[in-house]
Amino acid sequence: MAEMQGTNLAIEVKGLVKEYPSKVLAVNGIDLNIKSNTIYALLGPNGAGKTTTINILTTLKEPTAGSIKVLGFDVIQQANKVRRNIGVTFQEMILDDELTGRQVLDYHGRLYKLGARERQKKVIELLKLAELEEAADRVVKTYSGGMKRRLELVRGLMTEPEILFLDEPTTGLDPQNRSSIWKYIRNLKEKSNLTLLLTTHYMEEAEELADYVGIIDYGKIVIEGTPRELIDKMGADTIQIAGNGNSDLFIQELKGHSFIQNIVNTNGLIQIGTDSGNKRLVEVVSIASKSGFTIEDISIAKPSLGDVFLKYTGRRLRDK
Amino acid sequence: MGAALTLWRKHMIKLISKKEESIGVLFQPILWVVLFGTGMKSVMSTGMVGNGDFYMTFMVPGIIALAAMSGAIDGGLTLLFERVQGIIKEYLVAPIPRISILAGNAMSTINKSLFQSLVILVIGVLMGAKFVGLDPLGWLGGLFLITGYSLGFAGIGLAVASRTDSPGGYHMLIFMLTLPLLFLSNALYPLEYLPTWMQVGAKINPVSYVVDGLRQTIFDSNALLTGGELLPLWLCFLVVIIFAILSMTLAYYSFKKSIK
Repeated sequence: MAEMQGTNLAIEVKGLVKEYPSKVLAVNGIDLNIKSNTIYALLGPNGAGKTTTINILTTLKEPTAGSIKVLGFDVIQQANKVRRNIGVTFQEMILDDELTGRQVLDYHGRLYKLGARERQKKVIELLKLAELEEAADRVVKTYSGGMKRRLELVRGLMTEPEILFLDEPTTGLDPQNRSSIWKYIRNLKEKSNLTLLLTTHYMEEAEELADYVGIIDYGKIVIEGTPRELIDKMGADTIQIAGNGNSDLFIQELKGHSFIQNIVNTNGLIQIGTDSGNKRLVEVVSIASKSGFTIEDISIAKPSLGDVFLKYTGRRLRDK
Repeated sequence: MGAALTLWRKHMIKLISKKEESIGVLFQPILWVVLFGTGMKSVMSTGMVGNGDFYMTFMVPGIIALAAMSGAIDGGLTLLFERVQGIIKEYLVAPIPRISILAGNAMSTINKSLFQSLVILVIGVLMGAKFVGLDPLGWLGGLFLITGYSLGFAGIGLAVASRTDSPGGYHMLIFMLTLPLLFLSNALYPLEYLPTWMQVGAKINPVSYVVDGLRQTIFDSNALLTGGELLPLWLCFLVVIIFAILSMTLAYYSFKKSIK
């Protein structure tokens, strides 16, 4: 992490706290350092504080405490400078239904005082990028969900921002649209010097896109790193076993072996972290039979970011 | 100012592109003058005063006040929908002054009011209302009064729209606020025919001042139905200016609070 302390930080957050007037503590002391030209995914369950964090970074809400700098500008003192240099796509679709796609982009450019020629040029370029050229002069009402989302994403680019904030960019989209938007986001980063901060609760999304992942829960970052680092911390493979018998003894026996890295027993599902699932499967099975544990179901899983996520945020479903 | 102009432009484009709404903007005032005007005119001409043209002259400023009021309500509703749908966030993350969001909205409201007033004036002439003629100062004064007055009601609409999230609640509140303002005024009937308590009410109501102001600037006050005293013209201007400033200030603080 040493290189992250350099001067090329796009976002620098120290001790961010946000308490709403209703006394809800939405963000409870977050530190974030996001390097320029990277994709950072803020991952968390509903209500973890992702959107509040984005709202503060994009100057929509004021923090209760903390020092928050976006592109070196303070989000409170220099809000307009921050605003001028960021693009935002919100969680919910925010589009004027009665305008055409072209008008949506054009009016966005006007709000940022872009000249007529520049607007025209950008609009053509972005409609092409979003593959909306044919629908450009239809009112947005007639667009599909995916088309609307693509339009929103390119709208954020009208003003050539240095940072693009995407709050759950693919929520509510079908798999086809989701993967096309992923492709599109990756392209964006490669072509321009963009920094992207996205929030999501889709693990695949973070795994596909992010250079860095921060898992946020109860208003705090619980772990942070590259997806690879986080997954490696989980151990190489997981053998999952469900069955009957003396599971305590079985686990006790397993723990004596050096190739076992960790064991989690959640409601009868035993997850065994090991160096190689394929190689150790037979040994694990024989340990089970020796300790009188009957296996009903066994599988080998390569750990994913989802496992990391569950490890740090728990299995329990939460209400928002 | 640039941002306010952009938002004004956008609202206007949306209005024109929605056929039902633009037809409504055009026909609502026509219906008021034609239906309400004709009805009242015949009632008036059967009994008390002359041929009823007096009443048209008397009533057309009132209809202008009414139309401007309902236009302002629609303006508030535009802000309400922008808030509920989240479109306001696009404005809030843009490097524009917060007040330009209100200013753009108020400009579209005034724009609609002036257009509707023009329609009402034309229909009014056709139906017998008498005007001052071509006194440029009078017309300019009238224009100023309509602008100030619709700014005043735009402010009320925007203030309420900043505080509620439900269109139903908005309509209820606005209805409670604006209906008494219209009927407790001299817009539709001369003050001297009203009971004292209503006269008092009408005199503390800004609507009465814009209406009497219009009667003296645009219309031929000699041809009015009423022989009674009109409110002094300087006071009409003063009240309308204060009304506009107060309600826009209220709208500004109410809006600021809503985006905190």
